[in-house]
Amino acid sequence: MTAKRNHIAPFVWQICTIAALLALWQWAALNHPAPHLPTLQNIAAGYLRLWHGDLLFTAIIPSMSRLAVGFFIAVAVGCVLGLMLGYLRELDPWIRPVLEYLRFIPAVAILPAALLLFGPTDTMRVFVIAFGSVFPVLLAAIDGARRVEPLLLEVARVERLTIPERLFRVVLPAAMPSIFAGVRIALSIALVMMVISELIAADNGLGFYILRNQRLFQTANVYAGVLTIGTIGLVLTLALLALEKRVLAWHRGWRGLANAG
Amino acid sequence: MNEPILVMDAVSKAYSAAAPILKDISFSQKAGEFVAVVGPSGCGKTTMLRCIAALMQPDQGQVLHNGMHFFDPPPWLSIVFQDYNRSLFPWLSVRRNVAFGLRDIDKRERDERVQTALQAVALEHAADLYPWQLSGGMQQRCALARSIVVQPKLLLLDEPFASVDAQTRIDLQDMVMDICKKMSLSTLLVTHDIDEAVFMADKVVVLSTRPAHVVEEIAVDLPWPRDQLTTKESPEFLRLRHRVYTLVRHQAQKHAGANREELK
Ligand SMILES: Nc1ncnc2c1ncn2[C@@H]1O[C@H](COP(=O)(O)OP(=O)(O)O)[C@@H](O)[C@H]1O
Ligand SMILES: [Mg+2]
Repeated sequence: MTAKRNHIAPFVWQICTIAALLALWQWAALNHPAPHLPTLQNIAAGYLRLWHGDLLFTAIIPSMSRLAVGFFIAVAVGCVLGLMLGYLRELDPWIRPVLEYLRFIPAVAILPAALLLFGPTDTMRVFVIAFGSVFPVLLAAIDGARRVEPLLLEVARVERLTIPERLFRVVLPAAMPSIFAGVRIALSIALVMMVISELIAADNGLGFYILRNQRLFQTANVYAGVLTIGTIGLVLTLALLALEKRVLAWHRGWRGLANAG
Repeated sequence: MNEPILVMDAVSKAYSAAAPILKDISFSQKAGEFVAVVGPSGCGKTTMLRCIAALMQPDQGQVLHNGMHFFDPPPWLSIVFQDYNRSLFPWLSVRRNVAFGLRDIDKRERDERVQTALQAVALEHAADLYPWQLSGGMQQRCALARSIVVQPKLLLLDEPFASVDAQTRIDLQDMVMDICKKMSLSTLLVTHDIDEAVFMADKVVVLSTRPAHVVEEIAVDLPWPRDQLTTKESPEFLRLRHRVYTLVRHQAQKHAGANREELK
């Protein structure tokens, strides 16, 4: 009985905190009417408008497509390149300095150059998203591939696996825990880059939607857009965690035993 | 047929110039023969096996498989590593670990062969568990199944029974002898256990302390099948055991003497 109550308590407190914050906002909005402080009803209405009808196709879907393509490219390139660099150590001295330098460039700084290169196109936005989020995956994959148990690679040699087979069947799974940690970071960067890339010379997407409504003083819509981005981030992160839980089930068991023993 | 499956021809190896590990190791193994290599811990047994498996190349001398020299492990060679718990893939179930080396054959035959191998090591009931859910002895059997499923001709065993309890060890010895005879494998067992070497092998190769060289080769003519009780009580077994023991102890004393010399 007490155990059950302890289990419920944090959840109740979380709800209370959120309710208190919302109440505070609503109180402020009602008592100090101002264009920059819309009421909760207005924000909620804007939020719901975003999820169906035209806005779904001009704001959410364009943003999500760019995010999906850019993020997918980042994960694919990061994994393939990272595993090769981590496994084929002879390549490392050649490429490592370039990587170490590139990763210090804030992805945002590449935006004007990308605009010059690709123009105000989807290609530019996808590029910026991919560029920003590739590095965490790449570095995590390199790190994971380096720490593969050498004995497992010898088993692969005795079983006469080719180098691509060794990468795919030994190095990739062994590096998976590390890669997932990188992918989680990459996802949050990809979201940031998605929004930012849509603030420049765009005519659709969530970033564009927020910017335009700000210019039109439609503040409720601005907040609705922000909350929508938050929702997308949350849902994608939860999906990623669920995937990780499935794919890395072995890792939790294995590490759990290693820690216990 | 009479050509040896493995020839070690004056093999030497050093990780650094200052510390040679193997010195002029020569012996040969006939097809179907069970050879046990006995040597004290740290003398270079694992290093020797890695040279034989062509996971690395000797500095001098040659390792010949069926008269040929290899730069990568020969297709008919399998190995069970000393560190079995690190040599199993933690992300694969026992069944998939065993199937790891089976490629280019259709799924049905693969499943059958995996099943046969699992039966041979009495591990069918654990097929869907992960290696880290198994006891040491079971992990070792899983590694053994993985190495026999590819139907090798030469099986290398690196102290496979070193870190399991006495009863498991005896069971594993019987299991390995049984499998090797049934599959008419040529087996090279590395161990520091003298009884085990004499009990299981057709030939015992005694290694010296580091740098390891062959002190003596001893033929073991004990009749097959061998039994943990009757074979080990036979006068011939005791005589051979005595002989190997004396050689190994002599090595240990020489080693201790050398250490004293160094200290002076
Ligand atoms: N990769 C390596 N680099 C340098 N020294 C090594 C390496 N592997 C083993 N050694 C050394 O070689 C010696 C023999 O090792 P090993 O072949 O594992 O012996 P054994 O298997 O007989 O116990 C040991 O002293 C060990 O420290
Ligand atoms: Mg060893």
